[in-house]
Amino acid sequence: MTLIYAGLSLGAVYALVAIGYNIVFVASRSFNFAQAQLMMIGAFVAYTGHVTLGLPAIVVVALAMVVVMLVAAILERVAVRPVADHQTQLITTLGFGTVLTGLAQLIWGSQPLDVPFFGAKEAMTLFGGRLYSFELGLIVLSVVLVAVIHLYNRRMMSGLAIVAMSQDDEAAVLRGINVRKLAFAAFAITGLLAGLMGFFIGPKTFAVATLGSALALKGFVALAIGGFGSFYGGLVGGFVVGLVEEHAARYLGSEFSNLSVFLILILVLMLRPTGLFGQTQERTV
Amino acid sequence: MTTVNWWKTLRAVPSWVYPATLGVFLLVLPALQPGYSVTRQVELTLILALIVSGLNLSLGYAGQLAIGQVAMYAAGAYTAGIIAVAGVTDILVQLLAAGLAALVVGIVTGIPGLRLGSWSLAMTSFFLVLLVPDIVSIFEEHTGGQLGLSGIPGATLLGFELTPTHFYLTVVTVTILWFAAFRNIIASRHGIAFQVLKQSPVLASSVGMSVFRVKLSGYATGAIPAGLAGALFANLDLFVSLEAFGFHVATGALAASILGGSVSVYGAVLGAAVVEYASSQSDSFQEYSLVFFGLFLLIGGVLMSGGVAGVARTFVARLDRAAGLAGRGPSKAGDGEAIHRIEGGLLDATGVSKAFGGNQVLTDVSLRAEPGRVTALIGPNGSGKTTLLNLVCGYYRRDAGEITLDGTPIRTAATHRIARLGVARTFQTPLIPPGITVRDVVASGRYTVEGTSFAGAILRTPRFRAIQRRDRQRADEMLRLVGLEDVADTEAATLPLGMRRMLEVARALVAEPKVLLLDEAASGLDEGEVETLAGVIRRIRDAGCTIILVEHNFGLVLSLADEIVVLARGSVLASGTPSDIANDPRVRDEYLGASDADVRPDDSVTEPAARQETP
Amino acid sequence: MTDPLLTVEHLATGYGDLRAVWDVSFQVWPGRITVLLGRNGSGKTTSLRAVAGLNPVHGGTMTYDGRSLESVAAHGRVALGVSYVQEGKRVFRTQTVRENLLLGGYSLKLRRRALENELDRIYELFPILHDKRDDPAGSLSGGQQQMVAIGQALMAKPRLLMLDEPSGGLAPSVVAEVMARVSALKDSGLAILLVEQAVEAAVDVADHVTVIDIGKVVVSSPVGEIDDLERIKDACMGR
Repeated sequence: MTLIYAGLSLGAVYALVAIGYNIVFVASRSFNFAQAQLMMIGAFVAYTGHVTLGLPAIVVVALAMVVVMLVAAILERVAVRPVADHQTQLITTLGFGTVLTGLAQLIWGSQPLDVPFFGAKEAMTLFGGRLYSFELGLIVLSVVLVAVIHLYNRRMMSGLAIVAMSQDDEAAVLRGINVRKLAFAAFAITGLLAGLMGFFIGPKTFAVATLGSALALKGFVALAIGGFGSFYGGLVGGFVVGLVEEHAARYLGSEFSNLSVFLILILVLMLRPTGLFGQTQERTV
Repeated sequence: MTTVNWWKTLRAVPSWVYPATLGVFLLVLPALQPGYSVTRQVELTLILALIVSGLNLSLGYAGQLAIGQVAMYAAGAYTAGIIAVAGVTDILVQLLAAGLAALVVGIVTGIPGLRLGSWSLAMTSFFLVLLVPDIVSIFEEHTGGQLGLSGIPGATLLGFELTPTHFYLTVVTVTILWFAAFRNIIASRHGIAFQVLKQSPVLASSVGMSVFRVKLSGYATGAIPAGLAGALFANLDLFVSLEAFGFHVATGALAASILGGSVSVYGAVLGAAVVEYASSQSDSFQEYSLVFFGLFLLIGGVLMSGGVAGVARTFVARLDRAAGLAGRGPSKAGDGEAIHRIEGGLLDATGVSKAFGGNQVLTDVSLRAEPGRVTALIGPNGSGKTTLLNLVCGYYRRDAGEITLDGTPIRTAATHRIARLGVARTFQTPLIPPGITVRDVVASGRYTVEGTSFAGAILRTPRFRAIQRRDRQRADEMLRLVGLEDVADTEAATLPLGMRRMLEVARALVAEPKVLLLDEAASGLDEGEVETLAGVIRRIRDAGCTIILVEHNFGLVLSLADEIVVLARGSVLASGTPSDIANDPRVRDEYLGASDADVRPDDSVTEPAARQETP
Repeated sequence: MTDPLLTVEHLATGYGDLRAVWDVSFQVWPGRITVLLGRNGSGKTTSLRAVAGLNPVHGGTMTYDGRSLESVAAHGRVALGVSYVQEGKRVFRTQTVRENLLLGGYSLKLRRRALENELDRIYELFPILHDKRDDPAGSLSGGQQQMVAIGQALMAKPRLLMLDEPSGGLAPSVVAEVMARVSALKDSGLAILLVEQAVEAAVDVADHVTVIDIGKVVVSSPVGEIDDLERIKDACMGR
């Protein structure tokens, strides 16, 4: 059970990355390679607020969200909007992410920093397995976020509009929807959420500048398993990746965990390119 | 004026002289006794340049987001190191083994890309970089694991031990040879084929290229230089450690490629020099290096899509224009130009049916197009014209019916094979790859005529040269036919629409097809251009080619066609001579919705695939 | 006659540098139906797209309600009262009929609760949509999808309604029904621009007819002045 908790909480981290990818993908068909780096910045801001400045938790969360939202807004303006084709956006968002990694290293150094979380420091026992409060927090956050996003997309006008855009953006324009503005808003919201996510993942992964690359790739695997554009799919995909990684590390050795995730990625891409829950296949041309 | 004259003199020098001069300079550099740090800097730069050139090939030219070159670099380095420890110290053997190892890694990881789109390939290839440390520790006893692979004996060449200076010369020589090979590949059909594929796989298969093979050769040729770089790196310090193969290096290589210009040969050296120089600077700079790499990627991606090499090209073009070296404007289609006899083929489609999901788009359609005749295919929106065209080209699998060319059955779902049988086409939206000249666009149509190998292209064999000469000759003939000979050296994608349409006709015709399919070739053209096009089509017909014309312009169809087939709601409504069709009241009623129209089955007129057709 | 709501003069437009429309002029008046006729490929749809703001304008002018449309972005034109129903029933297929209609009112900038009240107008016009309101729009029949598309456009309370081949792919009985509904809409003062290939059905409801061929106007006249259907048809066929 302890192993499963570890897998699920690690998987929740990947699911959170996949949620970020999906929001941007649904709103603008772009792929934001810098998503994981946004979360990394969130974790660092949480560390600074919490440890360096000693601010109360709620202020820390708000601070991380606002800061990362601003960073995401800049990202959209400099790396996404001026670039027409999605393939080049991959390069420019990777570039932006690399800049963030570099800046994080300059500001916070390259040593991993331990980000504290609310509640008890000790692990608790639940259904015969042991887990930390931040692990439970991660799992709950990922599930709640997916549910909230699902409701938002069905209840709110802007949510309906974003789903409509993802189906036919020209038809959406003809209904008076400002597609560009909403796509920008989606980026800002991704940043907002990434700030929140950073606060939650920090205790699990530590705040470390090199967090981005591995997280970006595993988050993509979660996305590929779940299917592009499917929030539930990304959640399930994240959990699958987390569980596989923890089990492979436990039974085969830590050097096999990435390898098993890679094998799953290849298998899913070859056998079911639309993912388990996906309707929209990535464009192949 | 002096600047202009000076520029003219400079441009009169063949362009290969400049890189050759750099190569010679690097070869004689040891004679100047530059000191260890300089030669080492050059060695590291050239090793990086090799990796970057691989990126330029696969990413820049072939447009495949295979960005895991660092993993292939690692494969090459460990392969060379391991066989050296095992006693194989000959540098040639090591280069060969390392190149092969990288090739295997490149092809295996390219496999997902054969089926999938850009992101998946980018992610799987980048994931490889993440796997390098794991794989190295799994084979710890051979690779040295985290501690690194040490104890590599010095390299030898044919039994002679290499001194540091010898090794330096080896690095320079390998790099020069590879770049010469790279340049020769790019300036050949294969290089053009990469760019055609990058523009559109549909276009590539329509001129007879196997998308599968071109992609695979892109991954393969992109992997080899990374493997060579690995072998050189292993012998540079006689020590291989994991630090050399991290994301930091992968990002640096990508940054160098974007900075130097991905779609360029020598931009790789330039980009590598900048990145390597920056990385070698004091520690304070190293701290900033990621920020700079990121900025290179960002700015390179946003501002100068061609990198430094692209900026240089624009500058050269501007100076050329100032110096009056650029080509003149277009001329009229050459009326008197003799056109070779073309052996047309009889295209016979019988009982063809096709449904998308539940929508029956074509029902029992038959069409016969004869050599030396223009067969026009007309019909209202959604009547199935384009679907029929795409069935002939093999883009869709037909549900029933037979299509034969001169009696040979055309099988489905192998577009490039059908193209090789002699079926050429133009597109509703002209597909012209950017960055290549008008003449090369036309020559790309001859990809399947007289095959040339990569080796032939690299070594410039007499056979290759002869074929290349014929490519040029035939391309120029076609350009004269359509009146574009004066713009032969212009970048094709910058031409106005009317010329791009003519260019597509020339490209389709250069392989001397049996059947030429023209898909709305006149749409968007003004009256003068339509007239020119009609003249060209008539002369192609008179030369013996079988022409199938899908067209909305009634006047053009009536004046040009020998036979008209009218499609309506997926079946043939009428067929006959232009005057038959013009006087057939059913045709007009079909277009304009007569009051006593048959009941249309709901939704039958929508073609779900139609929206994807114009890439 | 009242002043025209939309005046298009010497419009030249296309896709990128592909020019499909060379010189097209027409007018649309409140409470009247202008029909744009022509074969496929003649430039009808391209002209509508330019008015809606989807295609760039290379030349000519578009005056709507006394102002030039060109400076207004496509989504902003909806708020001005320009509603365009594209051909091919482009509804949001995975979303329900109700969600589709709500999205139609997006430009009114109302809260969802307030927009829900607007739905009744549409359900009154197309009662079947009320029955199907919770079904995904993609599961409806072609005629019903067309009603969803028109309903979406009407949700925005337009002053100018542009309909692109509303009869396309529909059975004749449904075409007649759709045309009757379109005809009824003009009584509320709506200016309607109708693009059709089905000449007779369209001329039946038209107040003004403009025929274009290969991107140029060949006939433009009030319906009362040309009663010769044959002449219109010949013009459509480029004769």
